[in-house]
Amino acid sequence: MARVKISEYRAKKILLGDTYKGVSIRSDSKAKLPKSGKWVAKVDQGIKKRFKQGLVAVGVSSAQAAKKMSEWKKKGFSQFLLEPLVPHKASEEQYFSLERVREGIRILHAGEGGIDIEAHPEKVKTYIVTNDEDILKVSKATKIPADLLKHLMDSFNKDLFAFLEINPLVVRGEQVFLLDAACLVDSAGEFFTGAWGEQDIVHTKTAHEAEARVEELQRTTPASLKLSVVNKNGSLFFLLSGGGGSIVIADEAQLEGAGKRIGNYGEYSGGPSREETYLYAKEIIALMLKSNAKNKALVIAGGVANFTDVQKTFAGIIDALSEFAPKLRAQKIKVFVRRGGPNEKAGLELMRGFLEREQLFGSVQGSDAIITSAVEDAIKFVGVRAPLKRSRIAIERI
Amino acid sequence: MIKTNRNATVSGGVNMLEAVRKGKTGILVVGNHAAIVQSILDFDHLCAKEEPSVVAILGGARKAQKFFFGKSEILVPCFSDIGAIPSALGKKVFWMLNLQSGRRAFDSTAAFFGAFPHALGGHLFAENIPERHATELIRQFGSKKLIAGPSGVGLVVPGHLKLGAIGGTDVAQIEASKLATEGSVAVISTSGGMTNELIRALASAGKRVSFAISIGGDRFPVTSLTDVLLLAQSDPGTKAVVYFGELGGVDEYEIAELIRAKKLTKPVLAYIAGIIDEAFDEHMQFGHAKALVASPNESARAKRDALRKAGAIAPETFPEFLAQMKELPSKEFRDRVRSMDQLQERRSSILSTREVVDQGEIPVFVKNKKLVSQKRTFASAAFEALLDRKLRSPVTAALAEAIFQLLIDHGGEVSGAVNTMISARAGKDLVSSLSTGLLTIGPRFGGAVNGAAIQWLEGVAEKQRAATFVEMRTKGGKLLAGIGHRKYRVGIPDPRVAAIAAFATLLKRHPHLDFARQVEEITTRKGGNLILNVDGVIAALALDILVECEKFSHEDLRELADAEFFNALFVIPRTVGFIAHFMEQKTSDEGLFRLPEELLFVRKNKKR
Repeated sequence: MARVKISEYRAKKILLGDTYKGVSIRSDSKAKLPKSGKWVAKVDQGIKKRFKQGLVAVGVSSAQAAKKMSEWKKKGFSQFLLEPLVPHKASEEQYFSLERVREGIRILHAGEGGIDIEAHPEKVKTYIVTNDEDILKVSKATKIPADLLKHLMDSFNKDLFAFLEINPLVVRGEQVFLLDAACLVDSAGEFFTGAWGEQDIVHTKTAHEAEARVEELQRTTPASLKLSVVNKNGSLFFLLSGGGGSIVIADEAQLEGAGKRIGNYGEYSGGPSREETYLYAKEIIALMLKSNAKNKALVIAGGVANFTDVQKTFAGIIDALSEFAPKLRAQKIKVFVRRGGPNEKAGLELMRGFLEREQLFGSVQGSDAIITSAVEDAIKFVGVRAPLKRSRIAIERI
Repeated sequence: MIKTNRNATVSGGVNMLEAVRKGKTGILVVGNHAAIVQSILDFDHLCAKEEPSVVAILGGARKAQKFFFGKSEILVPCFSDIGAIPSALGKKVFWMLNLQSGRRAFDSTAAFFGAFPHALGGHLFAENIPERHATELIRQFGSKKLIAGPSGVGLVVPGHLKLGAIGGTDVAQIEASKLATEGSVAVISTSGGMTNELIRALASAGKRVSFAISIGGDRFPVTSLTDVLLLAQSDPGTKAVVYFGELGGVDEYEIAELIRAKKLTKPVLAYIAGIIDEAFDEHMQFGHAKALVASPNESARAKRDALRKAGAIAPETFPEFLAQMKELPSKEFRDRVRSMDQLQERRSSILSTREVVDQGEIPVFVKNKKLVSQKRTFASAAFEALLDRKLRSPVTAALAEAIFQLLIDHGGEVSGAVNTMISARAGKDLVSSLSTGLLTIGPRFGGAVNGAAIQWLEGVAEKQRAATFVEMRTKGGKLLAGIGHRKYRVGIPDPRVAAIAAFATLLKRHPHLDFARQVEEITTRKGGNLILNVDGVIAALALDILVECEKFSHEDLRELADAEFFNALFVIPRTVGFIAHFMEQKTSDEGLFRLPEELLFVRKNKKR
């Protein structure tokens, strides 16, 4: 499935065990701050370039850290990390990362201290590791202790990591310090490890509440349900099906010059039930009704499904549309449909009958029309004046 | 750099698609998804195949599942354990369709290729297979097998093989996409939905498909895009390639590189979706795991431009892409026409059975006022009805006869006979009285033949020492089936046992009887009456004869035992005996039976 970020705290706890002395602080819980010592405080929500954004405070006392964290809280952050300060020279800093690739695990390493990796890709050496022998070779080349490398690789495999970046890494003989770490895990692996779980996954952005509800729904079904709110005041709202088909349809909107008028992106696939489709469709219809755009259209479109039942999923969509029909009519919203697959004919007839009865009919087409036909019709309906696109070639409907 | 798994698309020097076209199409379904399995059988029917390509289903507690093959129904055998699949079926298996969840798919895939090393490949349907498992599958099978997925909808070779939901699960879709017709355009896509969309679009554009594969939207497809393209290149049936890709990942540079290196010379028509990403402020994660632009060269535009530069046709818009399909080279074809009406109106039966006797073949008993001598005895006809096959050997017929004769009765004292007689004396009719007798048959009376058969089967199959076997099976005071007699003992042999055991002299090998005798040797040391009894010897000889004379496999025998065939060997003749006891009661009619008081011990009620 997807690679997701887990907190730096959890990643280090997995890698270092009890020797790790970091303290995780969440704004919703009252963790006790350590009394004395010098600390590094940072926001622990998987944010890139934390240092440049001022989300790290180095060498602070416990009281200073608390003050810093309440500042960050005001900016909307909720998860922090306190670690004992490790004084070191910039020249000691190394770059180290692991990533699962097709051939094994790829190691990137830069021994030279304190460099910006993105600015100096030539300083980074790449190694592919598939067995213990490779580890020894890498250890020789990088001067990172073999035991540490082996331990990192074992954890990486056992606990289904996908990517681990340690930057900077400080090595002093046999002593090793992982100063900052970023970690992606393989969400499909959760079942196979107890080391991390849902509560360790960090979210950089607060999801729109509709997105959060769809995410919640996704957790309860083997089908795929995805939603991103793109423009709250968009004109085109999408109820798309299929991972690939949904992009093709959205592409067409962009090519027709209507990209900025898309309200949401998302897709349902993998045979959701009528009830699941109903709950998913409801979220999108509610978003559309809230949009303050003048002309609005709902595009229900997708490719020719392999096994998702058109009739069943359309019944779920109709359940949702019926609930909002008077409001949709009041806003003069029309619905444009193109879909194929199992029980296509029955599903399309059901949809056509419903839309006509409720005066929501824009167009309804099946697998004999091209996949982009509904979005094209919807764009004409909401009106786009300046197409970005090349001179349109005439294409006969196949 | 192009990563090529050198043999991933070739099996024994033959392009895998050619192997499929030559008939290597048998599928083992792992897990179940009835609609997908049905769609494969519908595809087979539309391709005018005589046999369905689904050989068996692995998983579930059932032994068979009903599907339509054309308009009539068939039973597809189901197994719960891969080791239980008989070798006769196993030989037909060339493909795995793995429909299990991401939690189980890895283990079951490894088990499949372990059990069927000659298999050509498979498809993993699950969307949530961990990356670690996917890379391990690549390490183990990436260079040897053609594997679609993880995720996606599988592989189709029109006219020959449909491995997965690909092409649709509705028979009308398969027909509309003309998947029964061998064509010349390959369809390759990560996206399952778009694979199907392109298959349909090609049919509408007047082209037919040579093969279509959905590689899957996961990060690590087992058979890589490069390998699939090389498969298309080396496939004599393919004249052109249609490809659908998305933003995210760098796969398309592999295509460009193959074209530049002249390893892929057939025309490539490609559409890379994801221009929409340019409309958003941040790169967005689209539906598939890989569909996220992580670096500038992963954008749809960059990848499309790279393909164009290499010489592929990569239109800007999807409608243009569809229009270009018409221009692709193709060969002549003729679609097979099949009536769809019957398929769409079919309805499932709710009960299945088989034709027990051939109703059309009634033997002649009397001809020209003379008896016609019958070669078949009742006993052999009964065996044939129960075993669902003609007996090959007169030895089996003779054994059937012997068993039925010997087991008709064993005196009026035995429980079943007593119950029959008591019911008859109570004025009950034949069927009621017989039923009370039959209902007595069970673990303590007459039901030991089947138990003994299972025992000998397991003992021989597990190659256990008789002593260990006896020790294990008698723990906690348990009894062995087929061992022990009230009357007979060492020194006073049961003449019926000797009569049956004599059949062994007609056989080359009799491992089940040998094992039973070894067990007897151990048990008689514990008690002189713990001899092999008539139930035990019947079970042993029936097994040995079915193996040697009728060619039954171990699995066949196990199935017979599970269906209680060996108990039937007791029930059939003893029914005659019970009826005889019933008739005797009716003839002499002694009135209602009552147990004389002195023959009944009555425990006194404690005074309160």
